[in-house]
This record gives sequence, C-alpha cells and structure tokens, in this order.
Amino acid sequence: MSGFSRRDFLMTTAGAVLASGLAGSSSAATATPKRGGTLVGTWGGFEPQSLFVPAGGGSSPYFTSTKVFERLIRLTADLKFEPVLALGIEPAEDFRSYTIKLRPNVSWHDGKPLTADDLVFNAIQYWKPISAGVTLDALQTAEAVDPLTVVLKFKVPVPEFFLKSVLAGKAGLVIPKHIYDGSNIITNPINNTPIGTGPFKVKEWVRGSHVEYARNDNYWNSGLPYLDKLVIRWWRDPASRSAAFEAGQLDIGTFNPIPAPDIARLTATKKFVAETKGYSNSAWITSVEFNQRREIFKKREVRQALLHAIDRSFIADTVFFGRARPSLGALHFSNSIFFTKDVQDYPFDVKKAAALLDAAGYPVKSGSRFKMSLVSAGWFEENVKIGQYLKQAFEDVDITVDLAIPDRATSLKRIYTDYDYDVAVSNNSASIEPIPQTTQYYTTDGIVKGAAFRNATGYSNPKMDETVSKMAIETDEKKRVSLVHEFDKLAASDAPVLPMVDLEPVTIARSDVRDHSLTADFMGESWAEVWLDR
Amino acid sequence: MLTLFFDFVRRFARNRAALVGLFLVLVVVGVAIAAPWWFPRNPLRIVGRPEIWPFMSSRYPLGTDSLGRDIAAMIAHGARTTLLIGLCASLTATIIGITVGATAAYVGGWVDELLMRLTELFQTIPNLIFVLTIVSILGQKIEYVTIAVGVVTWTPIARMTRAEFMSLRDREFVQACRSMGMGSLRIMFGEILPNALPPVIVLSSLVIAGAVLFESAVAFLGLGDPNVTSWGQLIGDGRTLIRTSWYICAVPGLAIMLTVLALNLVGDGLNDALNPKLRDR
Repeated sequence: MSGFSRRDFLMTTAGAVLASGLAGSSSAATATPKRGGTLVGTWGGFEPQSLFVPAGGGSSPYFTSTKVFERLIRLTADLKFEPVLALGIEPAEDFRSYTIKLRPNVSWHDGKPLTADDLVFNAIQYWKPISAGVTLDALQTAEAVDPLTVVLKFKVPVPEFFLKSVLAGKAGLVIPKHIYDGSNIITNPINNTPIGTGPFKVKEWVRGSHVEYARNDNYWNSGLPYLDKLVIRWWRDPASRSAAFEAGQLDIGTFNPIPAPDIARLTATKKFVAETKGYSNSAWITSVEFNQRREIFKKREVRQALLHAIDRSFIADTVFFGRARPSLGALHFSNSIFFTKDVQDYPFDVKKAAALLDAAGYPVKSGSRFKMSLVSAGWFEENVKIGQYLKQAFEDVDITVDLAIPDRATSLKRIYTDYDYDVAVSNNSASIEPIPQTTQYYTTDGIVKGAAFRNATGYSNPKMDETVSKMAIETDEKKRVSLVHEFDKLAASDAPVLPMVDLEPVTIARSDVRDHSLTADFMGESWAEVWLDR
Repeated sequence: MLTLFFDFVRRFARNRAALVGLFLVLVVVGVAIAAPWWFPRNPLRIVGRPEIWPFMSSRYPLGTDSLGRDIAAMIAHGARTTLLIGLCASLTATIIGITVGATAAYVGGWVDELLMRLTELFQTIPNLIFVLTIVSILGQKIEYVTIAVGVVTWTPIARMTRAEFMSLRDREFVQACRSMGMGSLRIMFGEILPNALPPVIVLSSLVIAGAVLFESAVAFLGLGDPNVTSWGQLIGDGRTLIRTSWYICAVPGLAIMLTVLALNLVGDGLNDALNPKLRDR
C-alpha cells in the first residue's frame, strides 16, 4: 500500500473525513468498509486500575481511555501528523506561540459542544500540571481567541515536532471542562466512566472481566465508527488468549497477546494474521534500573560491569523467541529520527564484568562480592524469565541475588514509590520524541515519588539536565537531532537505567478484522476505522 | 510396646494400596535427600538448549524447560521444597489445631464458644484465596508460604481434637487424675492427648498432601519464592508453552499427582492401622 495515496487523500479532503476506507497493510486496497458487528479486543497485559488515569498510569489505562478520549492530532505510520480534533496547529515565527484551530461541530458524549474553553482548560489545568508535567513547563498562557481558536504562549521557543508529539502523545488527551472543572482531576470518580469526544462511549465496566463500549452515534466523523460495539476483555495469561482466539472469543490482541511459539501455529491456519506495524510511536523496551540510593549501585563502574554481565542476545532469542533485539543506548532502534549507533555498548563479557567489579572495590570475599535485591516487575510473563536469567547472570560474577517477582501493583509500589530495590527489571514504551517519555528516566525533575515509569533510580547529573533542557528549546530540527545524540551518549555511558532489549511487539488479529495497525501507535488509537469483514 | 508396634505394622500392611503409597513416598523422600549429590549444581541454572524434549538427550533425561534448565534437576530439588513445605505446614497446622481444639474442649464455656467461632471464621474464608492474601501481604518467601498454608489448614484438626477431647475429658481415668490433684496442662497433654492423637495423626498426614497442592497452586500463580525451585513453579513457567511443549507442565504435574496420591494412600493406611475397630466393622 502506498503511503502517498494516503497523504494525498488527506490533503485534498483537509482531514474532514478521517482515513475512512483507506488502504491498509492488513486489508485489500479495494475493500469497502462494512458497518456493524462487535469487536473483542485485548492486549498483552492486565486490567487497568481505572479506565482513565489522568497522570498516565501505563499502557493498560491508556488502551482503555483512548477509545473514549481523543487528541488534537495523531501520528501516521510514516511519522507525519494528521488532524483529529484540531484542524491545524501553526507555530508563530519565533516558535514562542502556537495557534490551534479546533474542528467545528464536535460534541462530547453528553451532548455539550467542544469549544476553545475546553482546550484552554486542558492546556492549563490538565496537560501542564498533570499529564505532561515538566514537558509543558514553558507553557505560559492559553487564550481563546474565538470559540474555535486557541493560542498557546510559551516562555521559550518550543520545537514544533516536540509540541506536536506531546499533543499527539499519551499526555495529549482532551478531557471535558464541564465535567472536571473544580474537581480533582486525578481522583474524580468519573475516570471509571469517562466522557469524551471519541467514537466509543463507556457502557459498562465489569471488573475482573471486561469493559464494554457502545457506538457513539453522534461522532463528529459521520459514518464512523464502523463497529456497533467494542469490548476490551482481559485474560490472565498469554496461553489463554491463544485459546480465546481459537475459540472465536477474541478478535484482536495488541502487544504480544499470545505466547511467541503460538504465533506461527495460529497464522499457519490463515485465520489469523500477525502484524508488527503500528508500534513506532510506542516502542517497547525491557530495561534494567540501578537504584542510585544504594551505595554500591551509585558507582558507575558497578552499573557498567553488571551490564557487561548480561547476555542480551540470550534474552532476545530465548525469552522473546527472537521478537526482540539487544538495545543500544537509550533509544529504540526503530526510532528513525533520533536513533544513533554512536554510543557506548555493553557486549556480553563475564571476565570484563568481574574485572570492573574488582576495580570498583568489590572483590570476591568468601564466595560473594555483595548481596543484591533484584525486583523483576511481574506484569509480563517474559519478566519472570528475565528475572530468573539475570539472577543467574549476576551470580556468575559472584553476586548473591535475592530475586522477587511481585505482581503488578506491588511491582509499581516497590520500584516507583518505595524505591525498594537494588536492581529492577521494568518496561516502558517510548514515543519517537524523546521528551519526556525517554528523558524523564534520566533528568532530575523526572524524580516524582509515586509516579510510575519515570526516574526511579534517583540519578541526577547536571550535565544531563542541561542537555535535556537544550533539547526542549532547540527549534532547528537538525541541531536538535545532534542534541538528542549527545543525550543518548551520556545516558549510555552513565547507565543509571538502560534498555536491555528493544521489543518488536506483534498484534494478532483474525483475518477478517480490517484496517487495524495503520497508525504509529495503534493501541492508543480510537479504533474508529477498524471494521469487520464478515 | 513392641507387640503394639508390630500390630500396627501388620494392620497397615493389610492395606496393599497403603504399601504402594508408602513406597512412592519413600521414593520421593529418597530423591529429595539425594538431590544435592545427584544434581550438585543450582537447579535454576541454565544448562542447555531450551525446550529439549524428555528422553531425547542422555544429559537431560527429562528434557529442559523454556529457558534451558534441566527439568530432572528441578524435579529433584523441587521435591525437597515441596516435601519441606508439606511437612512444616502440616506441623504448623497440627500445633495450632491441637492447641485450639484441646483448649476449647477442656476449658469449655465462653472460651470454647470463642475458639470455635474463630475456627468457623477461618473455615468460611476460601482457603486458596486466604493463602494468596497472606503470601501477597507477607511477601514471596518460602517461609511465608509455609506459614500461610499452615494457617489455613488447621481448622479440621482443631475440630477433630475438640471432639476427641470432649468424649475423653469426663472419662473415669481423667476424673481419677483430677481427684489426684493433677494440673490441667498435665491432664490435657499427658493424659488426654495421647488417647486423642491417632485420628489427629491421620488427619495431619492428609494435611501434608493438601499443603503440597496449595504450594503448587501458589507457585503456579507466580506467587511462590522465585529463589527456590518447586514443582508448581515449573508448571507455572511452562503454562505458556502448553500447546507446543506440554511436557514442561506434564512432568512436574505427574510428580505432584503421584506424591499427593501416595500421601493420601498412606493416610488411609494409617487410618486402618490406628483405628482398628473401624476397619473390622
């Protein structure tokens, strides 16, 4: 399918009709979408703590909330921004202000219209203080010029790609002012039955089982969504998702829903397809984190030694069955804009690891150098194996390891709230734009006790902070790329937390599910264009 | 005394199934004891290619799991964990059960009421969920799993002990002890308990089998201690591969099945041997 026709189409229709009937990698170009049907979807993880977690809260609430809430723009598979709730976002000459034109005739699920006031509320009361955090620190004012136009003013120049990434990213959901105004957004109970502008309305959340969405008949993009009903259901483990696919109880699963050995078995029947597209703006990694609050792991040599002790190819090949590759630096290899090979690498070398530990002042004394508590976050099946493998890898360099593989809630608490670990195995998904999702693991202002998937190691380096703040205001795209390379180099050599393997997630779908995986982050897409060829 | 013992052995041996059970239990105990000599390396070590099927390689007779760990070594070392948890949990449950049951029956009155209501409270909580709750609160350590299993399985022992004590506490020999001025504790544990013990022992042996199953369930659900190998953990790890490499689940599953069956058969045998009247009826 050519990306050209897709962009061309959007340009000529000025985004009035969004990607309807477009060609996709998993459907025939000529097929006309059909209306109706119920789609049952899932992902390779568990139920969220709440359907919408304003401060983030990981992929699970992101998955459930994005069917209800939309963003101003979205990123296509070929990394271009296209309009959703905004028709245009234009920077001023000095990049210190941006003018946002809203799409007319958009209404919330309760019938109230989406206006510039909603946007001002989001910018000042939701994005800046809660979802985007320090990312939008430079945002000074948001002003409604007319009912459909908002001007955002910044203290410093803001790069266009950066701002658009934030607005198209996890932090950019647009929430209704008339519901949240005056309440505590984070604790508002409506977060379990969110009201948005999206193609689907929350009908019922049966805890421990599924959430059911009904079609939003007043969706601004008339004709969409194609589905009558969407159900997101959760299964405890990958093998039962395989069984659910085969039993016809599940139509689509994002992010490695089934055990890797089952992928070939299911796709061989031709009833299912495995799709690796649709993840470029939420590139998944498995990382290893070193708690800087502990004397031993504060030493850079120790961290580097431990990285040398890990055979990443083993993790990629054996644990992920080849659907991952050893990481290099802090960025995912699929990041075609910012990835660089020019960073310190840590090839598997037990002897070197041992020598580095000796030099760091931790020789082997009566069989052990020191004791380490290793916490492997139990939210993915693979982390159980990685934890067991790392225990052995570290024991091979004579470190005594106490391994814990707690459940999701306990893992979040131990790693991101209590900082109760020496070395942790965790995951995160990063956008193409490194600020904030990648940088917040390294910057001092990324340390927010209790906020998950940020700087939990306590690492703080003025040089790092400076590089990231330069990245935040550099409006020249080329110079910005070299600043990101500088950041990556420092992150790789200091190694407070680094990816071990870059994952290549797979979406499994029945072959009659069409037009999925068409954007840069399909899992966080509204799924309005998905249809069933039945 | 010796004739009593021979009598016991004779009655136990009359139950052929119990003999088979005893044999199996002894095999498992033997494997558990021999494990460190047989497989001197840490059983959780990755030693070979992942997913070698059983009987395909002479080095790994039972094959390797999804990470390339020797299943035979994990089964042998897992037998230690499983038996240890079973025995300790059963001991914990027996001690709690006897203490509660004996006190309730002997003291009577409001103490009896209180302890029995407490027992019922414990009985009404679904066992597995209770175990999981305790383990997730205390942490994933093998000691805590043992305590948790002990804490949920003592109730039948307490009720059984109480019933036995109730029937014994007003017998002539107890009244004789009392009239001689013997202390309550001495009467309870020196005089009544030995007479009440046989059925309790039978029950305790069954608790071991239950504890093995509980431990497996906990480890299967990923709440076991990841630092030690156990049969349930092996099944849990192999679960995702059940469609392609089912032997990873089947081998430890078989081990659990045989062990629990054997323990139950031994329990039956003990029942016959310790309650001869019941048998002859």
